[in-house]
Amino acid sequence: MAYVNGQRPLPSRAGLVVVGGGVIGCSIAREATRFISDVVVIEKESDVACGTSKANNAEVHSGIGEDAGTLKQKLNVRGNQLYDEFVRGLGVELKRQGLLIVITQRTIPRDGGMPEEERMELLTRKIPEGIVAYGENAGIKGLRILTRDEVFRMEPNVTREAVAGVFDPTYGLISPYKLTIALAEHAVINGAKVFLNTEVTGFRVEGGAVRAVITDRGEIETPMVVNAAGVFADEVADMAGAGGFVIHPRKGATLLFDRQVTAEYVRSSVAEFRLPGQRTTQSKGGGAMPTAEGNLQLGPTAIETDDKYDTSISAEEIEEIFERFHYLLPDFPRDALISAFSGVRAPTLEEDFVIGASEAVRGFVNVAGIQSPGLASAPAIAEMVLGILHELGLSREPRPDFDPVRPAPPKFSELSNVERNRLIREDPRWGNVICRCETVTEMEVVNAVHSIIPATNMDAVKRRTRTGMGRCQGGFCHNRVAAILARELGIPVTEVTKDGEGSPVFLGVAKEFLGGAAR
Amino acid sequence: MSAIRRPQCVVIGAGPAGLGAALAAREAGLSDVMLMERDFELGGILPQCIHDGFGSIVFDQVLTGPQYAQRFIERVEKAGIEVKLNTMVLEMRGDRRITAVNPRDGVFELEPASIVLSMGCRERTRHQVMIPGYRPAGVICAGAAQRDINIEGLMPGRRVVILGSGDIGLIMARRFTLEGAEVEGVYEIMDHPGGLTRNVVQCLHDYDIPLHLSHTVTFIHGRKRVEAVTVARVDEALRPIKETERRVPCDALVLSVGLIPENELSKQAGVELDPLTAGPVVDERMHTSVDGIFACGNVVSVFDLVDWVTQTAETAGRGAAEYVLEAGRRKRKPPVRVTAGRNVKFVVPQLLREFDREIDLFFRVEHPERAARTRVLVDGEELYSRKAKMVRPPEMIKAGADPGGARKVEDITVEVVGDEEEA
Amino acid sequence: MKKTHNYTCINCPLSCALELTEENGEVLEVKGADCKVGQKYAREEFENPRRVVSTTVRVEGGALPLLPVVSAAPIPKALVRDAVRMLSKLTVNAPVADGQVIYPDILGTGVDIIASRPLP
Ligand SMILES: Cc1cc2nc3c(=O)[nH]c(=O)nc-3n(C[C@H](O)[C@H](O)[C@H](O)COP(=O)(O)OP(=O)(O)OC[C@H]3O[C@@H](n4cnc5c(N)ncnc54)[C@H](O)[C@@H]3O)c2cc1C
Repeated sequence: MAYVNGQRPLPSRAGLVVVGGGVIGCSIAREATRFISDVVVIEKESDVACGTSKANNAEVHSGIGEDAGTLKQKLNVRGNQLYDEFVRGLGVELKRQGLLIVITQRTIPRDGGMPEEERMELLTRKIPEGIVAYGENAGIKGLRILTRDEVFRMEPNVTREAVAGVFDPTYGLISPYKLTIALAEHAVINGAKVFLNTEVTGFRVEGGAVRAVITDRGEIETPMVVNAAGVFADEVADMAGAGGFVIHPRKGATLLFDRQVTAEYVRSSVAEFRLPGQRTTQSKGGGAMPTAEGNLQLGPTAIETDDKYDTSISAEEIEEIFERFHYLLPDFPRDALISAFSGVRAPTLEEDFVIGASEAVRGFVNVAGIQSPGLASAPAIAEMVLGILHELGLSREPRPDFDPVRPAPPKFSELSNVERNRLIREDPRWGNVICRCETVTEMEVVNAVHSIIPATNMDAVKRRTRTGMGRCQGGFCHNRVAAILARELGIPVTEVTKDGEGSPVFLGVAKEFLGGAAR
Repeated sequence: MSAIRRPQCVVIGAGPAGLGAALAAREAGLSDVMLMERDFELGGILPQCIHDGFGSIVFDQVLTGPQYAQRFIERVEKAGIEVKLNTMVLEMRGDRRITAVNPRDGVFELEPASIVLSMGCRERTRHQVMIPGYRPAGVICAGAAQRDINIEGLMPGRRVVILGSGDIGLIMARRFTLEGAEVEGVYEIMDHPGGLTRNVVQCLHDYDIPLHLSHTVTFIHGRKRVEAVTVARVDEALRPIKETERRVPCDALVLSVGLIPENELSKQAGVELDPLTAGPVVDERMHTSVDGIFACGNVVSVFDLVDWVTQTAETAGRGAAEYVLEAGRRKRKPPVRVTAGRNVKFVVPQLLREFDREIDLFFRVEHPERAARTRVLVDGEELYSRKAKMVRPPEMIKAGADPGGARKVEDITVEVVGDEEEA
Repeated sequence: MKKTHNYTCINCPLSCALELTEENGEVLEVKGADCKVGQKYAREEFENPRRVVSTTVRVEGGALPLLPVVSAAPIPKALVRDAVRMLSKLTVNAPVADGQVIYPDILGTGVDIIASRPLP
C-alpha cells in the first residue's frame, strides 16, 4: 500500500512539503502530484480533514456572497467553475442543486417610512435585478430572477413573507471531509506520503531560503513548503519567519437534522437576502441547506473566540439559529434535530485570503486566511498555488504516469440488490449491518480501517462510512464499530478512541474498577 | 432469482413484543411465522436488563430481564417458528413487501400475508435535548451504557454524572456503582423523578446517590474526553438559572432523557402515526392503518412494564392470525376513536372497531392526581371504574372494558376523575 | 434512646414518606403511611431490609464475555455490595445452563447465586 501512516519513519527529503491536511493542503498536494511524486503532507491530528475542513457547511458557493474585488470572490467564482473537473475520478459527488436566495418583507421593513409602492418595486424588481447584475459582473452564470409564486413552487415551505427570489444554479454541495480524504488518497496513489499524528514544530531556514521542515518526529529536507495550516497558519508562518499576518479564530455552529424528516423539506439550499447593514454577524447569513448526504443544516453562527480549538456550542447559539430560521421556514420541525457541530474559521484582520510566496523566506508559500468560501475556492486556490510553486522551480512537466482515478470503496446503501448480493457472496461481512440508521455494513468499516488513509478511530470511520451519523447517534453501533476497530488494528477495545489520543471510548473493562483482573 | 416467499406472518424485532407476537400468531393457528432480529440472539433489550423487576403481572413472579426473555425464547424455539437472526429489515412497503439482509441469505424479499411491527424504541440523544458544549468521548445514553457494561463488559465511564431520572437512568446509577464506578449524582429537570419510586429507593437511596430535582446539564466540557459538566437549577419554565451554575468534574455523562418509538419502517410503509405516542395508530387488535400490518410493544408507545408489552404482543399476534385466516372474508369496520377525557394524555389503542371482546386500554395521565378514579365510559355508561390513591404521568395505567357483545357504539371515553369517597 | 428513620414507601405511586421511631431496636411507631402496607414496609426496611442482587460474572469460552447472575432470593441489604465484589473475582466456564448455581450460599446467607440465562 502506498500510504505512510504515523508509525512509519519520515523520508529524509521531499520535493514539496505541505503543512496541514485540510481540504486546502490536500488539494494542493494532489495537484502537485500531477508534476512531482515526492510530495509530503504533514498533519498533526489523527486523520486528514480534522480541522475546519470537517466542520463546515459543505457549500460550493458561486461567489455571489463575496465582496467584489476581493481575492476571495475571484477564487470562489473560478473554483466553482473548476469543480467538476477537479473532482473527476475521485469518487466524490458534487451536487449542483442550486441556491435560492429569498427576498422577504423584512428585507426592507414596512415601518421604514418608504411609500409602499416604491418599497415593493425595490423588493420585487430592483433588488433581484441588482443581485443578478452583481453576480454577472463577477462572472457568475445562470442567475435567474423568480417571482413570489415561482419561489413557492420551487420551495413550498419557505415563509409566506417571501416576495421574490434569485436562483443561483451553479451553487452546489459536496461532503468536505470525503473530498479531503479522497484528495489525500489520490495524492498518495500518485506517490505522495501523508503523515498523520505528526506536528510541524519549526523550519530550518538558511540563506533566506527554507531548507527543511522540523516535526516532532524528525526532519525532512525540502526546497519548498506550503503552509496550509488553517487556523494555525499564522503560528506556522512565524516559525519560519515568513509571517506577518494574524488569524483571529471565529467559530460557527450549525444544527443538523434527520435526513428522513427533512430531505423533502427544502430541495435546494435556501438563504434569506439581507441588506449589508442587516447582517447581525460576520457570517454571510448562512442558510438552510442540505448536506451532501441530505441532512438539512441550519446555520452557521459567527462568534469571535480566542481559542483555536473552541468547537463548543453555546445555548445562545442554538437559540439564535432557531430564531433566525423560524422566520425563513416557519413550520420547520425542530425536533428532527439529531446533531450539532461547530467549526473555527481562520480569518485574517483584512478578512481576505492571504496566498503568496513569502518575501522573507524563499520556497515558503503561505495559504492563509482561508475562511469561507475556502471549500468552494479549493480548486482555484490549488491552481493559484501551483502557479506560485512553478515559479519557485517546481517542474512544469505533467507526469505521464499520473493516475487520474482514486477508486472509491463501495457503499452498501447505494448499491442495487443484485450488486449487494454479489458482494455478500464474496464476503458475508457485506451482509452484516453495523449501523442501523445509515445502513452501514461490517465490510465498509473494515475497508475504512484498511484504506489508503487508514481510519484508526471512531470519528475517522464515521467520516468514511457514516456510522453513528444517524438518528441514534451511535447508540446502537458504537460498541460494534469499536470492536471492529480493535480487531482490525490488533489493539484492545479499551484503546479505541473517538478521535485520537486522549479520547478513549471506554475507560476500562467490567470488574476492573472493583479490582478484578483486567481481561 | 427465486420466487418471492410469502409467509403467513413476519414479525420484525424479537424483543419481548416480537417474541410474544410470534408465539401468539403461531398458537392462533398460523403455521408459517417468521421472526426477524438484527441482533445475534433473541430477546431484544431484555438480555442487557440483568436487574430484577420483570414479570410480576404475566408470571406473578419477579424475574430478571434475561429470565423473562428466556421463558419466551424456549417456547419460540419449540413452536416451530422460523427465526432469522443477524437480519436487518432494510425496507417495508405499504403492500407488505419486505426487503431484508443478513450475511447468510444476502438481500432477500418477502411478501407476507401479515406483518407485526415490534421494533421497540431508541433513546433520545444529547442533541435532541440540546445540551450545549463540546462533543467529546464519554457522552452516552443510559441504554447504550447498559449494553456496554452488561453485555460487552466495557466501562464507558468511571466518574459519572447522570442526566434524567427515568428508570434506565436510575438502574444504571446502581449498576455503575456496583461495578466500582462513582456516580456523582442524578440530575432531573422536572421537579419529580421520572422513574418508579421503587427504583429511586433501591437504586439511589440504597447507595447514597444524590438526586437533584429541577436541575439540568447546561454545558459539556472537554475537547477529547468529557472532563466536566456544568449543572444548574432550572426555574418554573425549566430554564436554567445562570447564578446556580456549578461545574462538576466527571469523565462521562450518561443520558436517560426519554425513548422514541422506532418507526422508520412504519413511515416507509405509510402507517399512520399518533403524534402523542410517536407510534402507529392502532385498533383493539393492534392493527395499524395499513391493511395487514400490526404493531405491538414499545414501537406503539413506550410502556413501562414488559408485562404490558407482552399483552399487546399477544393481541397483535392473535390479530394477525385472525386477519390471515379470515383472509378478506371480513371487512374492517369503521372505527370509533377513543376519547382521552379529563386528565388523560393519550390512550392506546386509539381506535376501536369491534366490541365483541374485552378491550385493554392503556393510558397516561397528564398531571399527578391524588385520590383519583379512572373510568371507561361507553356511550355514557360506566363500564370500568377503579380507585387509585395516586396517578402519575410516568406510570402507564391499564383499564379494561367489556362492552358485552357486538353492539353499536358511538363513543368511548377514558377519564380520570376525583374520587368523592376518598376526598 | 429514641431514634427516627425515614423511608419512602415503594408499594404504590403515592410514595408515602414514612417516619419510623424506635428505641433500642424496638419499633414504637410508623408515621406518614397512608395504609397498612406502608406500615409493614417501614418495619421491614428497619428490621430486616433485603434485596435481590443481580450482577455479572466473567465467562471463559462463552458466546459473550459476561454471564448475568441473580440471587435466588433476596439477601440482607447490607451484604449486597460485598456479594457483588465477591462475584467480581469469579470466572466461570461456558456453557452455562439457565438457573445453574454459580455461587452457593453467598456470604453465609443460605441464598444461592444462579445464572439468569443459558450461555452457550
Ligand atoms: C461553520 C463554518 C462553515 C463553513 N462553511 C463553508 C462552506 O459552506 N463553503 C465553503 O466554501 N467554506 C466554508 N467554510 C470555510 C471552510 O471550511 C474553510 O475555508 C476550509 O475548510 C479551510 O481548509 P484548510 O485546509 O485551510 O483548513 P483546515 O481544514 O483547518 O486544515 C488545516 C490543517 O492543518 C493542520 N495543522 C495546523 N498546524 C499544524 C502543524 N503545526 N503541524 C501539522 N499540521 C498542522 C490542522 O490540524 C488542520 O488539519 C466554513 C467554515 C466554518 C467554520
